[in-house]
Amino acid sequence: MDTFLQVTAYGLLQGGLLALVAVGFSLVWGIMNIVNLSHGAFVILGAYIAWEVQGWFGLDPFLGMFVSAIVLFCVGYVIQRYLINLIVNGPVFITLLLTFGINMALIQGMNLVFTADFRSIQTSYGSNSFEIGNIRIPLVRLLAFLLAIVITFALVAFVKRTRTGISIMATGMDRGAARLMGIRARHVYALTFAISAALAGMAGTMIATIETFDPSKAGKFTLMAFVVAVLGGLGNMYGALVGGLLIGLVEAWAGQYLSGTWVNGIAFLVLILVLIFRPNGLVGKAFYAARVEI
Amino acid sequence: MKKTPRASAAIIAASCLAVFGINAVPTASAADVVTITLGASVPLTGSLAKEGLLTKEGYQFCQEKVNALSTATIGGKQKKIDIVYQDDTSKPDVAAQNLSKFNDKGIKLILSSYGSANVNAQAAVVELNKQTMVDSGGADDAIFNKGYTRTFNVMSPASEYATSMVKAISEMAKPKPVTMAFLSADDGFSKTVTLGGMKEATALGFTVIGPQYFPNATSDVSAALNKIKADKPDVILGSVHFVEGVAMIKQAKELGITPKSFAQTVAPPILDFATTLGPLAENVLGSSQWSSVVKGQEKYFGKASNYASEFLARFGHEATYHNAEASAACLAMVLAIEKTKSADADKIKTALSALDVQSFFGRIKFDSTGQNTFKPMVVIQIQKGKIITVWPRAIAQAKMIWPYVK
Repeated sequence: MDTFLQVTAYGLLQGGLLALVAVGFSLVWGIMNIVNLSHGAFVILGAYIAWEVQGWFGLDPFLGMFVSAIVLFCVGYVIQRYLINLIVNGPVFITLLLTFGINMALIQGMNLVFTADFRSIQTSYGSNSFEIGNIRIPLVRLLAFLLAIVITFALVAFVKRTRTGISIMATGMDRGAARLMGIRARHVYALTFAISAALAGMAGTMIATIETFDPSKAGKFTLMAFVVAVLGGLGNMYGALVGGLLIGLVEAWAGQYLSGTWVNGIAFLVLILVLIFRPNGLVGKAFYAARVEI
Repeated sequence: MKKTPRASAAIIAASCLAVFGINAVPTASAADVVTITLGASVPLTGSLAKEGLLTKEGYQFCQEKVNALSTATIGGKQKKIDIVYQDDTSKPDVAAQNLSKFNDKGIKLILSSYGSANVNAQAAVVELNKQTMVDSGGADDAIFNKGYTRTFNVMSPASEYATSMVKAISEMAKPKPVTMAFLSADDGFSKTVTLGGMKEATALGFTVIGPQYFPNATSDVSAALNKIKADKPDVILGSVHFVEGVAMIKQAKELGITPKSFAQTVAPPILDFATTLGPLAENVLGSSQWSSVVKGQEKYFGKASNYASEFLARFGHEATYHNAEASAACLAMVLAIEKTKSADADKIKTALSALDVQSFFGRIKFDSTGQNTFKPMVVIQIQKGKIITVWPRAIAQAKMIWPYVK
């Protein structure tokens, strides 16, 4: 029983990390209908910024993540406003192509600036854990998990209770109608993309504190975010959290009770099953998958 | 444009050499020099970019040393080598395609990519194209049991990676541990390493636990660790790459798993291992293809210690075994060229089959399958943040610290 609880706890915490990576990706996809293939590169860029900030100023990553978030917010805003906005009305393949290109440019840029060396943010508490009964809870993973929950609820509050958030949702629901209401869609889109990039920056900081990173990891995080977003569903801010936790649990249980090599296969099997029975994801709304932008 | 007789002669000579398999292009300014082109497809981007860059540095260093020191001639002309690089993006299919591109350009002599999957794909193409390849980055035994005759591996085989650490622990660990758990990535190379290590551990009287596998390149090995936690193994031996190796040490601490020792392949000899893990890396054992105290010397690099110091001066960082094995592969190719005074792939293949040299990398000699089964591996340990050779005893820089987990 202890083993099951240990595995479950670890799976939930790992799921929180996945949710943290995916929440910004899901936001952009849900609101702007853009599958941002450069999301993983933003995550890694956030990791590098926090790593540099710690190196230069000795700033703890839980403070450094705000620096990452601010820098990535600016980067995201500029990229959306002056690059992606140019083709935002184009076919989905064009946006895929552009974000893929941005992804490649960012990865190669990071390769040149930071090299392909493996990095990690070292802290005195990085691998610490504490016990509840016979279950060990890793401290930083727990904090990342809590951060994912806080960010998700904060995002929900932001889009439901603030004027800017409501304008983001309105633009996501019907860009044409939102424009008629006086909402500046280009600015709103850029803001949404910037928030997503900022969240990626925070996620990257947590990744850097928990594990190793290098530019080549970007693709992995984009894929993870994609799977989690599809599993959770679009149009619901809780989707990434639900999807992340489910994937985390499934991977943990599969790794424990089946051969470890089946972990990825089982995770994708669950994704397929969910899509068969709930094509819009676990908590997604059909509108967001079927809408037509004007 | 009117061609001068001298230029025409040069073009004709180059064409003839290309036709006869010697990819040599005398330049107008150095007509007495023959340049032999080697093709190297290495991962400069993607998941193996770090190791790919180290491999490229090793090849570059070899080229510079050989071109500076070589007095060998071919056809009365001074021999130079030139290495042409292609990025294989860490993908086996691209690594293989790049060799065909080299072949289309008449480049028949190949220095390998990094990673067993890449080299495995390349070996088949080398055979098809009748090229000759010296391998510095794919140690999986599976590459060499397919009957290929044109790929030669300067490294010790994959099965030696874990075996060397098992032997070192058996010889040097006091009190001798009883149980040894094997955790492994699920790629072919890592599995070969694990099976070899388990066989040796059983033969030496250890109680073997596992193997427990996890996906290659994963950063979460917690499931495998949880599975062996109840057994409380004395040693956890990980057949891992860098990412899984770091995750294993970190997550074991998170989960409260405290063996007497961690031993890992591949990861600990990488300089980033100690810097990434900090104090957690302390006293982790690792197996390495090379260290700066390996015995042997030859005319280009001298002793291993010379290689280490000159490499540091040239590239600004300590030489890793990835650098050394790349230089050694290039060295083997150069020695074969000098032996045959030719760049013909078939003649080079024959010369490599007969090569037997004591070098800065240790003995380079190939068995009938193309593997270097004559070179032992070394076991290193991270001590005070430095990579210290602790086995074989004859070349150990310090005693193995045992046990270390408090």
